[in-house]
Amino acid sequence: MEEWDEVEVPDNVKEIFVEMKNTAELMVDLAYSAVLFREKEMAEEVLELEEYLDILNYNLTIRAVLSARNIRDAERITSILQMARSIDEISNAAADLAKMVIDEKLHPLINEVILESEETIGRILVFPESILIGKTLEELDLPTNTGVWIIAIRRGKRWIFDPDEDTKIMPNDIIIGRGTMTALETLKEIARGIIKVMSNE
Amino acid sequence: MNEFEEIRNCLVEMKDLSSLMIDLAFSSVMYNSEDIAEEVYLLEERMDDLTLKVKKLALHAAKKEDDPESLLSIIDLADINERISDAAYGVSDIILHDIEPHPIIIEIMKDTEEELGRVRVHKGSILVNKSLAQLKLPSKIGTRILAIKRGSRYIYNPGKDDTIEEGDVLIAVGSDLDKLRELAGEEVEEEE
Repeated sequence: MEEWDEVEVPDNVKEIFVEMKNTAELMVDLAYSAVLFREKEMAEEVLELEEYLDILNYNLTIRAVLSARNIRDAERITSILQMARSIDEISNAAADLAKMVIDEKLHPLINEVILESEETIGRILVFPESILIGKTLEELDLPTNTGVWIIAIRRGKRWIFDPDEDTKIMPNDIIIGRGTMTALETLKEIARGIIKVMSNE
Repeated sequence: MNEFEEIRNCLVEMKDLSSLMIDLAFSSVMYNSEDIAEEVYLLEERMDDLTLKVKKLALHAAKKEDDPESLLSIIDLADINERISDAAYGVSDIILHDIEPHPIIIEIMKDTEEELGRVRVHKGSILVNKSLAQLKLPSKIGTRILAIKRGSRYIYNPGKDDTIEEGDVLIAVGSDLDKLRELAGEEVEEEE
């Protein structure tokens, strides 16, 4: 994991906000994946992302504070500060969920909850004969083509968390994905090489 | 149904709702949608009810458990979901409260040519009983459906096999939602 002070934060407020949304969503997905598979390393990643979201939040807040020129501005800034606090609270909640994995205190019922959700989480092994091999996530566009969002990829001994569009799928990758049970089953068949085409619509 | 089954059903709903709420809360700010901020508020109330229900059920179940403390993580999970939902409401609240948004919020909303809103599917609409695969809304009218609200349930990120029913409320993003409103049989107000 890189040091956070070297992490680049987008300069445009809108991009910062979109990044905050994506990070918050990823944290919740990763936390639930960590719970389902009892993956402590994944849980640790959620804690790291909490720090990243703090940095994004800090940047948004600084911009708001700097923009105050009079009392009226300052009053309106309080609403931004409140929103920033709320975003911070989302990340704290996701981090607390991750800590439950690290502390190993989970009732068996919790796994059933994750498996029965409308959007559940699956672990998918990619076989060498699959059509996914060698293609980037951008080319594959799995959310549109299969209804599965990729949360993380396990490659050998290392994790790729929140893979980007240039990430290529390699043989024996293990994909952690979010989607309905049906969508995950379809992707499993594609990953096994049973289904050889991906249908769009 | 025993307590554990009931707890499980509540928590499943809570997990689905909290993911939906994060998505909708941030989206309501980006698209300046009061409509969706209001939806987040309604979901938050539902979440409060579910949280209380889980806690009560867990206490009842604990009476029969040899190790009542094992139920703590269930209460924690309910709490975490409630906190996420409160926080999501805190994000979308800025849309409901600020009459004149702060320049930072205006910046966030800038350059969004799309609109996010709720569309109710009326009786006789051509959308009724059609699957999303048949309708091809993204390519035909440039609209994506984020969620379908059916009674008190939500179908989050509906897939191509999901079918639209009469009375559904579609939570949709698109460059011109009036097209979807017309298809859904809603009265569309003429803009001045």
